[in-house]
Amino acid sequence: MTGLTATRLSVGYGADPVLSDLDFTVPEGRFTAVIGPNGCGKSTLVKSLSRVLTAEPSMVQLEGKPLQKLKPKLLAQRIALLPQHPVVPDGVTVAGLVARGRYPYHRPLKQWSADDPQAIAQALEDTGMTAFADFPIDELSGGQRQRAWLAMVLAQQTQYVLLDEPTSFLDISHQIEVLRLCRQITANGRTVLAVLHDLNQAARYADQLVVMHRGSIVAQGAPHDILTTELITDVFGMESMIGSDPWSGTPMVVPVTD
Amino acid sequence: MTVQMFHVGEHIALSYRRRSVLIWTAMTALILSLAAATLMLGKLGLSPADFVDILSGEASTATEFVLQRVRGPRVLIAIMAGAAFGLSGALFQNVTRNPLGSPDVLGLAAGAGAGVAVASLVPWAIPAPIGALAGAGSAIGLVILSTGSGLSSTSKVIISGIAVAAIATAVTQFVVTATLRDEASRLAAYLVGSLNSRDMGQAGLIAVTLVLAFPVILWLAPRLQLMELGDELTTSLGGKATTTRTQAILVAVVLAAMAVAVAGPIAFVALMSPHAARMLTRTSGPNLVGSALTGAMLMVLADLAVQQIPLVEDLPVGIITAGFGGLFLGYLLLTEFRKGQS
Ligand SMILES: Nc1ncnc2c1ncn2[C@@H]1O[C@H](COP(=O)(O)OP(=O)(O)OP(=O)(O)O)[C@@H](O)[C@H]1O
Ligand SMILES: [Mg+2]
Repeated sequence: MTGLTATRLSVGYGADPVLSDLDFTVPEGRFTAVIGPNGCGKSTLVKSLSRVLTAEPSMVQLEGKPLQKLKPKLLAQRIALLPQHPVVPDGVTVAGLVARGRYPYHRPLKQWSADDPQAIAQALEDTGMTAFADFPIDELSGGQRQRAWLAMVLAQQTQYVLLDEPTSFLDISHQIEVLRLCRQITANGRTVLAVLHDLNQAARYADQLVVMHRGSIVAQGAPHDILTTELITDVFGMESMIGSDPWSGTPMVVPVTD
Repeated sequence: MTVQMFHVGEHIALSYRRRSVLIWTAMTALILSLAAATLMLGKLGLSPADFVDILSGEASTATEFVLQRVRGPRVLIAIMAGAAFGLSGALFQNVTRNPLGSPDVLGLAAGAGAGVAVASLVPWAIPAPIGALAGAGSAIGLVILSTGSGLSSTSKVIISGIAVAAIATAVTQFVVTATLRDEASRLAAYLVGSLNSRDMGQAGLIAVTLVLAFPVILWLAPRLQLMELGDELTTSLGGKATTTRTQAILVAVVLAAMAVAVAGPIAFVALMSPHAARMLTRTSGPNLVGSALTGAMLMVLADLAVQQIPLVEDLPVGIITAGFGGLFLGYLLLTEFRKGQS
């Protein structure tokens, strides 16, 4: 078994599972977008794939090994997650926050590793946050803050980068920058799985779409192959037409209501 | 406010801020000066010449008596119990992510006090530290059980803390009324938190507690810093949120219980120290050293006041800290609820 896989995954927060019997293999080296309506279980899926939500050992595995079996820090060197609502620590600077992404490489009495400075500088640069390195997080705009979180996750230098709504709070140009960054990360052989809400952006920038509905994956594949008006009606309960993006030629979903 | 690294060989590298280290040094100097003042001022005060004698081993018996029996243990206990309260408050506030999560607000200090009172009641004399631990443990257990959601909700924690403190006070009152008059007045003074007539054995107890807690806290510090990012990121960055929280609470309960065992349930030092420390050092992170130093400073200052300032002379220290701490708690509540409303 290779890669990061979910097998008959059933997890939830109480008695009723949110996801039931879900099978999924994260497409290796690609940029995959997870789309679906509010509350369908997108966050639950990415949390399960990163041990933040624990499932049965057989359900989520990395290279055939249950996530729980791996040492937490070693797992954190392989899989990174940016949660939908991260908690901002008091009084921390951007550089300080990004440095916390290096925790998996530290030991109890060694809060430093030789690669730290380079990893932090690179993450700041990739997210365009170098100029803000010494700013306190509380003094940033929502979008700048979001990019600081992204930088923290990138500094973790993992093979798998899971992002839960990384483009929320960003203006259009920064949304596009983040999406291009996701692509760029995969160009280096890494894997990105991002929850997105904008279908057209997902179709334009991601290699693969995963469409979720009521706790199941209802479609998965290249945007061209799977985006149909029937699918949009089934999943989002909305009539639509599908055209093509005038710039990239990728599918473009247009609602047909007044 | 850049982070520096303190390297020892290849395997140890600890981060610190230059500004914090400067402030810690200044605070240590201040604590030592206050301690010296405590030893020197007033009727029984030692003179500089006495210090020279002590250091050269030629002190008179009177001087030695003052140092070893009267002022010495008192000032040592003030410093160390203050540090233990400060650390305990910082640990609690960190893991509960609750600015009011501290042993006094949680009813833990009152619980430890009740434990000591009950321990004094039984004829075969349970040692005070054991009573304090049992009381503190029961108090925190009750709070965690009764909120039903751990320690993270500010308002629930305050309400259960009030309830638990009330139960503890009732137990304590019962013990005070049940004991003989001499014992009762001694107990009553202890229960507001007093540093009168302490001995070197008690100073030793809190010293051993701090020495044992030190490596554990050093080991916990980076984990606590990670915990500030919330449970989800703590887990995805390779930390163990629940384990760290349990460990930190255990250490915090032991520190608070031992501080109460030697100094009584001194109010609000644990609550105030981490906040004051954060204002002073203006850093993020668990700020454990700063809180310990602030706790020590507050206690020595309060103790010096009750020994030398006419108006408050001979009051138990706990009354002074309760006065200032009460005001501070009011201020915190106001800012918290404002934050909640916006
Ligand atoms: N911490 C929680 N406790 C209890 N139930 C939860 C929790 N988090 C999510 N749920 C429930 O699980 C379901 C799926 O939630 P999830 O967060 O995975 O949805 P989502 O697809 O990410 O939605 P959104 O687009 O709004 O972020 C929802 O019905 C939600 O009510
Ligand atoms: Mg979500």
